[in-house]
Amino acid sequence: MLRTNILAWIALSMLYLLPLLATAQVPTTPLINSHLTGRVVDARTHEPLPGAIVNIKGTTHGVSTDAEGRFVFVTGQKFPYTLIISYIGYRRIEVTATGGHIEIPLEATQSQLNDVVVVGYGTRKKSDLTGAIASVSGPLLKQPVSSFDQALKGAVPGVQVTQTSGQPGGGVSIRIRGGSSIQGGNEPLYVIDGFPIYNSTASPGILTGAPINPLAGINPADIESIDILKDASATAIYGSRGANGVVIVTTRKGKADRNTVSYEGSYGVQSLRKKTDLLDATDFAKLRNEALYDANPAKGPSQYLTPEQISQLGKGTDWQDAVFRTAPVQNHQLSVSGGNTKTRYLLSGNYFDQQGIIRHTDFTRLGIRANVDAQPLDRLKVSASLSVNKSDADVAPSGFITSLLQMPPTATIYDPNGGYTLRNPFENIFANPVATINEQENKSTTNRLLGTAFAEYSLLDGLAVKVLFGADVNNTSEKNYIPSTIYEGVQTKGSAARGTYNAYSWLNENTVTYTRSVARHSFDVLAGFTQQEFKSDIVRAGAQNFVTDDLSYNSLQSGATLVRPFADATNWVLHSYLARVNYNYNSRYYFTASIRTDGSSRFGKGNKWGYFPSAAASWRISNETFFKGATHVVNDLKLRASFGTTGNLEIGEYQSLATLYSLNYLFGKNMATGFAPSRLANDHLGWEKTYQYNAGVDAAFLNSRLLFTVDAYYKKTTNLLLNVEIPWTSGQTSSLQNFGSVSNKGIELSLSSRNFTGAFTWNTDFNISFNRNEVLKIGNGAQSYISGNYIIQVGKPLGSFYGTVTDGILQTGEESAKGKYTGNAVPKAGDRLYKDINGDGVFTTANDRTIIGNAQPDFILGLGNNFSWKGFSLSVFLQGSYGNKILNSNQQSLELFTGQQNAAASARDRWTPSHPSETMPRAKLDPAPVFSDRFIENGSFLRVKSVSLGYSLPKSAIGKISAVNVFVSGQNLLTWTSYTGFDPEVTSGNNVSPGTDLGIYPVSRSVSAGVRVTL
Amino acid sequence: MQKMLLRYSVLLMLLWTSCTKLDEHPESVLITDNFYQNGDQANAAVTAAYRKLYESGQSLYNSLFQIGVEMATDDYEAGPRARNAHVRAISGLTHDASNDRMEQLWKQSYDAINVSNIAIDRIALIKKENITDALRTRLTNEAKFLRALHYFNLVRWFGAVPLVLHEPASLSPEALYVEKAPEADVYAQIISDLTAAENLPAPAEYGANDIGRATGGAAKSLLAKVYLTRKDWTKAAAKSKEVIDSHWYGLFENFADVFNVAKKNGIEHIFSAQFQGNSGYQGNSLASRSAPNEVPGINGDYADALHKQGGLYESFGEGDTRKAVTFITQMLSPTDGKLYTFEPHLNKYYDPAVVGNQGESSKNLPIIRYAEVLLIYAEALNELNGPATEAYQAIDAVRQRAGVARLQDIAPGLSVDNFRDSVFQERRKEFVYEYQRWFDLVRRGPDYYVKVLKAAGKTLAAPRHIHFPTPQRELNLNPKLKQDPLWVNY
Repeated sequence: MLRTNILAWIALSMLYLLPLLATAQVPTTPLINSHLTGRVVDARTHEPLPGAIVNIKGTTHGVSTDAEGRFVFVTGQKFPYTLIISYIGYRRIEVTATGGHIEIPLEATQSQLNDVVVVGYGTRKKSDLTGAIASVSGPLLKQPVSSFDQALKGAVPGVQVTQTSGQPGGGVSIRIRGGSSIQGGNEPLYVIDGFPIYNSTASPGILTGAPINPLAGINPADIESIDILKDASATAIYGSRGANGVVIVTTRKGKADRNTVSYEGSYGVQSLRKKTDLLDATDFAKLRNEALYDANPAKGPSQYLTPEQISQLGKGTDWQDAVFRTAPVQNHQLSVSGGNTKTRYLLSGNYFDQQGIIRHTDFTRLGIRANVDAQPLDRLKVSASLSVNKSDADVAPSGFITSLLQMPPTATIYDPNGGYTLRNPFENIFANPVATINEQENKSTTNRLLGTAFAEYSLLDGLAVKVLFGADVNNTSEKNYIPSTIYEGVQTKGSAARGTYNAYSWLNENTVTYTRSVARHSFDVLAGFTQQEFKSDIVRAGAQNFVTDDLSYNSLQSGATLVRPFADATNWVLHSYLARVNYNYNSRYYFTASIRTDGSSRFGKGNKWGYFPSAAASWRISNETFFKGATHVVNDLKLRASFGTTGNLEIGEYQSLATLYSLNYLFGKNMATGFAPSRLANDHLGWEKTYQYNAGVDAAFLNSRLLFTVDAYYKKTTNLLLNVEIPWTSGQTSSLQNFGSVSNKGIELSLSSRNFTGAFTWNTDFNISFNRNEVLKIGNGAQSYISGNYIIQVGKPLGSFYGTVTDGILQTGEESAKGKYTGNAVPKAGDRLYKDINGDGVFTTANDRTIIGNAQPDFILGLGNNFSWKGFSLSVFLQGSYGNKILNSNQQSLELFTGQQNAAASARDRWTPSHPSETMPRAKLDPAPVFSDRFIENGSFLRVKSVSLGYSLPKSAIGKISAVNVFVSGQNLLTWTSYTGFDPEVTSGNNVSPGTDLGIYPVSRSVSAGVRVTL
Repeated sequence: MQKMLLRYSVLLMLLWTSCTKLDEHPESVLITDNFYQNGDQANAAVTAAYRKLYESGQSLYNSLFQIGVEMATDDYEAGPRARNAHVRAISGLTHDASNDRMEQLWKQSYDAINVSNIAIDRIALIKKENITDALRTRLTNEAKFLRALHYFNLVRWFGAVPLVLHEPASLSPEALYVEKAPEADVYAQIISDLTAAENLPAPAEYGANDIGRATGGAAKSLLAKVYLTRKDWTKAAAKSKEVIDSHWYGLFENFADVFNVAKKNGIEHIFSAQFQGNSGYQGNSLASRSAPNEVPGINGDYADALHKQGGLYESFGEGDTRKAVTFITQMLSPTDGKLYTFEPHLNKYYDPAVVGNQGESSKNLPIIRYAEVLLIYAEALNELNGPATEAYQAIDAVRQRAGVARLQDIAPGLSVDNFRDSVFQERRKEFVYEYQRWFDLVRRGPDYYVKVLKAAGKTLAAPRHIHFPTPQRELNLNPKLKQDPLWVNY
């Protein structure tokens, strides 16, 4: 939003300029020596650029282009003369005019030093930055994604974006410079047009399966730019919410004198990257026979099916084929924008419909936006941005993928009577996945209104007061119905549930800014007070036991059994004071200092207020006189250093209080309600504190054709909000305390190069980042604690997998010698062997575990190449991750070889007396699942994240239309990985146990085509 | 003008600061410090303590006793659907200090004790004008009864345990780290709590809306059992006699009525965990854990199975009416109408009102019932004076009701040892699936336990198994805690 201030200022100065130009021409009858007409257009899109300034070199004579990008010079100058064309956001060029009509393409400036980046509560020129801030714009934001955070994958260094679900509208997990919290939130703070939002997936709790990403309620096509604040100098202004980094999102604005109507539409198809390789019916039947025979040899080798029956089976049911599909995705965006120097507007409407690659899953969004900027008085600016979106999702119920993979191929979708086969017919009971996905209704609808409005009044030159109000209203309703005809509903005879979540947050920010330059000193000061309040409530109700499934979830009162209703309400308040000073001397030495104090209701009564200072300095060496000789090679060089403190308060509400929860007990026929305490009070509960040091270098070479940025950081988070385990004898399991410490350190590098300029352009953007995470301290002097398949251990990174180590297969004759390393009471040849880690001479699952991998990557990278030639443009974007491990939990279940559920194709290599495998164990009806390194896979990948080929139709072909652009694009077209699961881009989200692939909806591959028309 | 504006805006900012407070005043949750103010709230505190007898999922008296304790006896094993490695470990006696079901025994018991402790401490602080003396005393004694019950379980499972009698005052190590108290101290506290609880109302004194609460009779009966466990035969005999002579209780004529939903909290039921299906996690899940899974439409889990080698099923005589109530071998499928025959399944909690949805069984779980008081009396008398007539009469009342011959008639003049065996055998058959077997086995010492389990084919049985190990987690978190000497090297 503040970016528009600059635009407004420029527009204003133009306003002053124009009359001057006019008066210069009026007095004498001019001598006319030349007549020149021309048009200024965007070099890539060929869209006209209205308002561009065209000057004749060496004169004061200048004009600006009209709405069609056209200009006319009638002057006394003789041909040839040189024109200088400048336009904000584009590279200034000089063109020699020799007469006639001239078409002037301007190249947009990408990641140029003169770009303005949005920082907290203001904007700064990129060249003046002291902190580590990265910007995303251009082609990456044009990817067809359901939420904008997905477009950040690989976009900038230091930002790791991983999909938590491929469900349309599903979530992503973002880590900026590594996760710094163990149990608090780790997602960054989003600031959307000035409104701070923590992307929590709070919901009514009715929907099962992957939660819908709340950010999917914001239309990515409305976004102009995303700026990511990484170091403490940049984030400390967000105080207790800055520790995980800040993502500032700025939506599009109307441009003065450039009234346009534009439509963009695309249609695409998505498909599964690869199926999981499983046994077919024939092989499965053999496996089951073996498992049963092993358990009960007396009954013979064909307890399930005889060899003759097996020979009739063929491939059986391919359950994956039954639910995966090629699914369409479409997106339509209509926007109208324009205005004059006093008032500018943008109105847009958006419709996005993504069907999932699993049947009966989809996500649609319908939204409108209105952004208005106006300057009613010379000293008063007002601005408002408002969006309203409605999104609907059909979500795959939880556990669906797991049962899809495990359902035996010998089972059929339907029984002979035409009804569904209810469940896995064998011992391990779970529902028929096709029935689940076809018949369960699992829906979510969200209406979200997000808007901010501000007025800024300029009291004196350089002194302005700004008051901003904002509101975020989020109403989510969820519905679930499990009919009596499917297994999940048999016992309940139909189960309906509904819930609503209403969240409302208001914001008020009052800031004063003062900007002043005296001689070579320039500085600006910001001070302010802000307050934000959040309220939410949840209501849930449900019923079971319906006479008919026809009413679905629409008539809870018709259920014979009512489910106990639920209601909850929470609120939080945050009060803050903030101040920042920027100073620079002669554009050589820059200093920034900021402080924010936050008072949060979430913390203990003895610890409500926290202080978050930061300081930074940078030295623009290239502006030093001694450097002048080198500027033809290195035209810009800057060193940066910063230090600061930020916080994290994502712990939920009321965590410091000894709250009570209700429970019921029956006396006679009378239900009585009781209350018991949920936790012990902690008056000292406070925020997590992150100290971050950052040093960086920005350099530009060869007339800014090669830009280079490198940053190194060290981040130490202390006072970690940790559910510290306490002895059960206290009556509680844990207590939320400020304990423990985690560090992240790393290096980020980005390189941007304009390889070719001119008619054929080729730009390359490359970024790579390395982050190393380490747990420094946890709990009461404890060195480690185990959480499921993970260990949190001092000296090791978070996300360390903790499990057993396989050691081959027990072979015939080795039972007595090596049997104790199988973990089985009665070892048998074909059992898996494990390493005796603690050296006590026997293997036990509990005592012989070690760290067997880590979910965090060694490095992540992104590589974009953009080409353009005449009307064509091509962008190819690669994204990769190296060194991270994935726990393929799906595979762990599929390699149990029980014959009770389907098994992975690797079962064909299982141990049998005639095939003494050294890698795969025998069939066994009743094995204890053991988590081992067998299921830790290399999660490294490199993928062609997106390819987009566009063509702008030439002016001659489109007549009066300003621009027509057609494009085809592909997502995830090629992937190089050794990961055997559906897709390597997968994570289980939280920081204690990231990188587990268990029943996660796979990410799809897609191809789409579209058109962009501007009138 | 501009100065005014500036002043105004500064003023505005300051005004706003004072508007909203940072103190949390939750609208949807209560805070400990604001609660426990009157009789109703005192009642709610004690209601919570009752609910801690079991909660949703695998919880103490709902199925945890079966999964975490009874599996380790000669009568039960982890059934085909008990997939969990921890459960199978307890069943096969390979469990160690990190067994999670066993951890739950410890955790849930202390949770329950904490809720009772809070009730006892906070009810004492309620202002005089807000609660009657009678109610204050009664509720406090109910909480004491429940606390005693949980400590009685803990001390039998784990031996010496920390004796926590108050809610921790803070999160400081002094408040959180508690060392083990000797078994004798734990028992002294149990006896003290139960002695106070003896003053609770007689069963008939409770109104219809208070049925299921602990009574003076329940306290006396449990006290008798405590004395019996302590081998304080005199007091065990006296206390059980007191219950018998109160005439508050009797035996149902039909054994089946003990598990008849219509006869809940009847003449024989002294204290039971109260279950009610379809009322929100209050169903007795043992019903579905034991129900067969191969009968279409029954949807049983068959996770709790009989340990066949133990010979329990075969030990029942043909005329024993308990057999048909305790086990089932045939069922009509509600889906296909066919009759299915299978190996004996436990059946005491199967609720015909919720066919196909046994998770919502409404059958109560008896914690102590009159038949047990009779058997306590018989056992205590035998230990004191040998099998006198009164001892025979007590055991025979239970046998006659079950439709089997009186011991007096078929085996008069037994030795003390033989009579003791008869009582234990009777207890075994009477209380199948009522969480008594493990306690009865370990009560007779490690040699007896090991002998019986080995005979039943559980060959890994060892003397240490008369206790469960102190959970490793607790040892890790509490430096004052030491592992049970029996388990130090395992």
